Amino acid sequence: MIPVRCFTCGKVISPAYEEYKRRKEEGEDPKRILDDLGLERYCCRRMLLTHKEIIDDLNPYQ
Amino acid sequence: MEITFSRLDDTVARFQLRASSPSFANAFRRAMIGEVPTLAIEDVRVYDNTSALFDEMLTHRLGLIPITTDLKCYVRKESCSCEGEGCAGCTATFTMSVEGPCIVFSRDLIPQDPSAKPAMENIPIVKLTKDQKLVIEARAVLSTGRHHAKWQPTNACGYKNYPVISISEMCDGCGHCVEECPRNILEVEGKRVRVIEGRTEECSLCRLCERACLGSGIGEESAIKVTSDESKFIFVVESDGSLPVKEIIEQALVYIRDRSDDLIEKIGEISEGT
Repeated sequence: MIPVRCFTCGKVISPAYEEYKRRKEEGEDPKRILDDLGLERYCCRRMLLTHKEIIDDLNPYQ
Repeated sequence: MEITFSRLDDTVARFQLRASSPSFANAFRRAMIGEVPTLAIEDVRVYDNTSALFDEMLTHRLGLIPITTDLKCYVRKESCSCEGEGCAGCTATFTMSVEGPCIVFSRDLIPQDPSAKPAMENIPIVKLTKDQKLVIEARAVLSTGRHHAKWQPTNACGYKNYPVISISEMCDGCGHCVEECPRNILEVEGKRVRVIEGRTEECSLCRLCERACLGSGIGEESAIKVTSDESKFIFVVESDGSLPVKEIIEQALVYIRDRSDDLIEKIGEISEGT
């Protein structure tokens, strides 16, 4: 799961992830999406840019 | 001391602190980050968790959710009349009961007190597949950023000195500094460089312009000089949603006042005793 807050500044970034993922799959430029989502600082931007979702791989195991 | 706001809404404030000192500015910053109490989830009772995340990870995620705080309704657990047992005066209780397949969001936390609810409704907590279940009871208490960052009411909270840019008669308007400035605050006007009106505050005091000026072969001393005003500060305060910024600022100032009153009192007692 995407971390709730940015590691560095503490801004709550997780609500932006669903939209980021959807728009990125549609082929939009990540820079534009992040600007739209109001993630100004580069610490918050890297949170989305570098996230790898593994919850679906974990889910079959208890 | 004087404060003028150039921007103020519920989540972000930008203001100038004037006729002050570096030590006060830093005390003010630290008070805003570490001494203004907010609510955050501290104790979680997990009745059922068959999700892919461990209980500990789940509760850590719950703790990081900002919760709207009405400081008039809650007191610190240590100073509550219940003596740390946990009552409605010091603890906000939430319940959550979700069954998959779905994504659990912060809005699924049902607050007992409607004034203390998650500040954002759409924070994902965990993704559940079929037959996975989550039944939880969470208790939020009031504390400060000194104890854990989850109680910090601010995200980005900092200040810089007010920049003073002076351009001497030596300037020949070569424009090297204009190109070098990363914040684009300079322009060439006739034969001289000047600061674009209203952009002085944007200066990051990086002094690249001074180096560019020396590099242009002007001599031993650069024509443009960037210094800072030691009594003026530009603050940026950003709230995480648990408290409006204005209240964070007020509470921090109240804290500083109370602490200095305490100090005066204690010093008074000591000097009476001798």
